[in-house]
Formats: sequence, C-alpha cells, structure tokens
Amino acid sequence: MATPPRTQSNPVVAALFFVALAAAWEFGVRLFGVKSYLLPALSDIGVAFWEARAMLLDHSLVTLGEVLSGFALAAVLGVALAALIHVVPVARSTLYPVVIALQSIPKVGLAPLMVVWLGYGFGSKLVMAFLFAFFPIVISTLGGLASVPSNLEEHFRALGASRWTMFARLQVPAAMPNFMDGCKVAMPLAVIGAIVGEFVGSNNGLGNVILLATGSSQTALTFAALLTVTMLSLVLFYVVELLSKFVWWRAV
Amino acid sequence: MGVAIRVENLTKFYGGPTGTKALEDVDIAIEDCEFISIIGPSGCGKSTLLRILAGLHGFDTGSAAMFDEGVDAPRDDVGVVFQTANLLPWLTVDKNLTLALEIRRGKAAAEAADVGAMVEMLNLKGFEDKYPHELSGGMKHRVAIGQALMQNPRVLLMDEPFGALDALTRDRLNIELLRLWQRDRKTVVLITHSISEAVLLSDRVLVLSERPGRLIADLKIDLPRPRDPSITRDMPAFGDHVVELSRIMGVV
Ligand SMILES: Nc1ncnc2c1ncn2[C@@H]1O[C@H](COP(=O)(O)OP(=O)(O)O)[C@@H](O)[C@H]1O
Ligand SMILES: [Mg+2]
Repeated sequence: MATPPRTQSNPVVAALFFVALAAAWEFGVRLFGVKSYLLPALSDIGVAFWEARAMLLDHSLVTLGEVLSGFALAAVLGVALAALIHVVPVARSTLYPVVIALQSIPKVGLAPLMVVWLGYGFGSKLVMAFLFAFFPIVISTLGGLASVPSNLEEHFRALGASRWTMFARLQVPAAMPNFMDGCKVAMPLAVIGAIVGEFVGSNNGLGNVILLATGSSQTALTFAALLTVTMLSLVLFYVVELLSKFVWWRAV
Repeated sequence: MGVAIRVENLTKFYGGPTGTKALEDVDIAIEDCEFISIIGPSGCGKSTLLRILAGLHGFDTGSAAMFDEGVDAPRDDVGVVFQTANLLPWLTVDKNLTLALEIRRGKAAAEAADVGAMVEMLNLKGFEDKYPHELSGGMKHRVAIGQALMQNPRVLLMDEPFGALDALTRDRLNIELLRLWQRDRKTVVLITHSISEAVLLSDRVLVLSERPGRLIADLKIDLPRPRDPSITRDMPAFGDHVVELSRIMGVV
C-alpha cells in the first residue's frame, strides 16, 4: 500500500531557503545598486550591529528597564482590577465598561500626551509600556477568574470556605493559566509601548536610536537597532513562556 | 443512639412557588450511624435533598435538622462527596486529601493529620505525589471520598459518588466503602441509582417518586453485618430486597 507523502518540515530545506534569501538580499542590493540609505546590504547591517554593539547594549538596558517596569505595573494593577471587577458586582457594571472604553483609545495617540505630562525621561515610557500591557492582562485574568468550574465552587461552599479562601485557594490558581496567556500577549506589547514612547520624545533607549539613525540616514544602524528590539522582545517572550511552564494545570 | 438527621414536611421549589417543584412533603428520620441510601428516577430531587442537607440550598416549607439543629448553612461536621470527583488539578493527592481539613480547621490541623494512613486505607500508596490528571477515574473518586473522610465527619453525604464510573470500578469502590464504614461507623446518606448498590451497602433504602420527589418507600434491609459483597449478594434476602425495590420503582 502506498504511504501518504510526508509533509514534515525538513530543517535542511529551511536553512537553505534562509541562506538563499540572505544571499538574494546581499547581492540583489549590490546588483541593482540600491542606495544604502534605502536598503543597506545585509553585511553592512551586520557590521553596523557589531560596531555599535556596546551602544546598542546600553540602550537595550534602558528600554528593558522601561518594559519590565511597565509590564510589572500592568501585571499588578491588571490582576487587582480584574479581581475587583470579578468580586465586586458594582465594579462590573461601572469599572468594566470604562476599561473597555479606554481599551478602544488608540494608545499610540496617547504617547505625546504622556511626554507632555511626564517628560522625556523614564516615566512616560513606563506608562506607555504599562498602557499597552495592561488590557490583555485584565481581560485574560477576568476570563480566568470566571472560568472556575461551578462544581469546584460548590465544593468549596460545602466546606464553608470564606470568600477569601475561595479567592486565594480556588479562583487565583484556576485563573493562573489564563493570566499567563495574557502575559504572553502583553510582554511584546509592552516592548512596542516603550519603543513608541521613545519615538515621541526621549534621550535614550532603542526607539531613540532608531529615530536618530533614521534621521541621519544611517539606515544600517536603524536595521541593527530594529534587530536588537526584535531580539529583546523574543527573549522577553521566551522568559514568560518559560515561567508559564510552572502553571501547567488547566482547571477543567 | 439519637437521631442524626430529621427532615419534616420538606418542600422545595426552584424559582418560587410558580416554578419547578423539586421536593414535596418529604419526611425522613435517620439514626446516628445509620447507612441510608436514597434512590429514585433521575430528576426527582435527590441531589436537591442532599444539597439542602449540606446547607447549600434553602427550601420553602418544612424543616431540615441535623443533631437537633436546623440546617441553614454548611456544617463543620458534615462531609460531602459529589458526583464529580472535585479535586484541585494543581494539588497532589496528598494535598487534595487534606484540603477539606485545611479549609475547615486550618493548616496546622492539615499538617497534623495522618495522611499516610488514609492513603493506605484507600489503596493509593505510591500515588501521594501524583496530580489528579495522572490518576484513573476510580482513583480520583477514592481521593474525593478520602478528602471527606479526613475531616472525620459525623455525617457523610454522597451524591452518586460512583455514578460516572464503569461497573467494575464501581463494585470495587463499593467494597472499599463498605470496609471503611464498617471500620469507622458514621451516619451516611448515599444517593445512587443502583438498586443493588443501595441494598448491598445500606441499613435502609428510601425511594423517592418522580418529580416532585415524595417519599414512596422506606425499606429496611435485613442483611447481616459485616457484609462481604461476594457472600451478601448470594443471600436470598439480598435478591428479595432487589426485587422488591425494582417493583416499587417500576423497573419490573
Ligand atoms: N438550580 C436549579 N434551578 C432550577 N431547577 C433545578 C435546579 N437544580 C435542579 N433543578 C430541577 O429540579 C429537579 C430535581 O433535580 P435534582 O435534585 O438534581 O434531581 P436528581 O438528583 O434526582 O436527578 C429537576 O427537574 C431539575 O431540573
Ligand atoms: Mg442528581
């Protein structure tokens, strides 16, 4: 009997494809004489990255600080707000609609306002990272809190569990998987938030590097900074992914 | 021996007197340390009755009392086992076994409890550190029953605790339940839809009518204790009781 064709991905083919892509970029740019301020050759980006590595690292740390602070604040306040909305019925009919309405504001548009209010420094970037990360965490945590199986809730009630016990021992752990999913969405968003904040007005950070490099037609450096942002975002995502391995259960 | 549970003229509606009448004029008296089974067609109000006794549901008229106190909230000396094995997915077997104890009497009581003895009694040795998703259906139910027994309740209320299991596992758990109860007698109310299970285990079998549930039979089971399933099932009296209950329930 004939076996169905195998469709599994072949790593060699994938590697060859990327090599071909990189070669096409490198030689295509040279072949067609593309101006380097439009699209630098791949090797130029590599060189720019290497030469600016110390500077890029410094600015990465600035951006990292903004992202982590904003994200941490979003996690703390997001969980608190979700818990409040879940526990206090009045909050569901008052705060929740406000949250949804605020969520609909294009947060990019708030960046200039934040710079006006908080200045060019760390604060406005923290708030931007926070704003981007906050809503996914609130929404996912709320979903988690509401997902507690009713049979477990009844079990706790039969045990005479207080509302606090119910919350701490049942609802919080049951909401953890959803919360971690929210964090996975929120972390890359926090990076975007911080970069947007830096675009609008800053003295340092990777967004600032991108802005200055582009302004002075150092396009290779722009690409190198973009590469750095991407790597930062990926690393942060995988840290969250790694942490979420500790929350392996699904309350079903 | 006194009366453990006394239910008089109990009537329960869902959704007010114009809604679903689940129970009508139910009168039950259960002696301390008696093993009672309640059987009846599905939807006749068995779970409703058990939830009222567990202090989870109110009722409309009549009274429900345990040890001469009206039941209006979950009591500390009552253990409840539901049809679904209500285990917390993020806790090991050990921790699930002591959960009820911990919620009712605090961490110290849970830590002082002899979990090892319970694990042994439930034939769960070697599974102490496993999580619920690593257990078979029968094992989960044993842990759920163990959790209720760990509280050493005066009254054990069980709502079709083996309803979702295959016949073989069910038989095995019945044998274990019999063994546990004969070792450490307490008042047991078991809801089941298995006539032979009810006869095998109980001192008395109560039969509820179609909804609204009314008490239509109260049959004393004359079988010697301690009972051994393989011997008891072969006694003529066992067959007589099964036939009589089947007739009452209109199965034959
Ligand atoms: N929370 C509820 N709200 C409304 N009706 C209910 C509720 N719980 C049970 N009922 C109804 O009450 C009747 C008895 O239910 P139940 O006590 O669960 O029956 P049993 O356990 O004997 O199968 C059924 O008709 C059921 O549909
Ligand atoms: Mg039921």
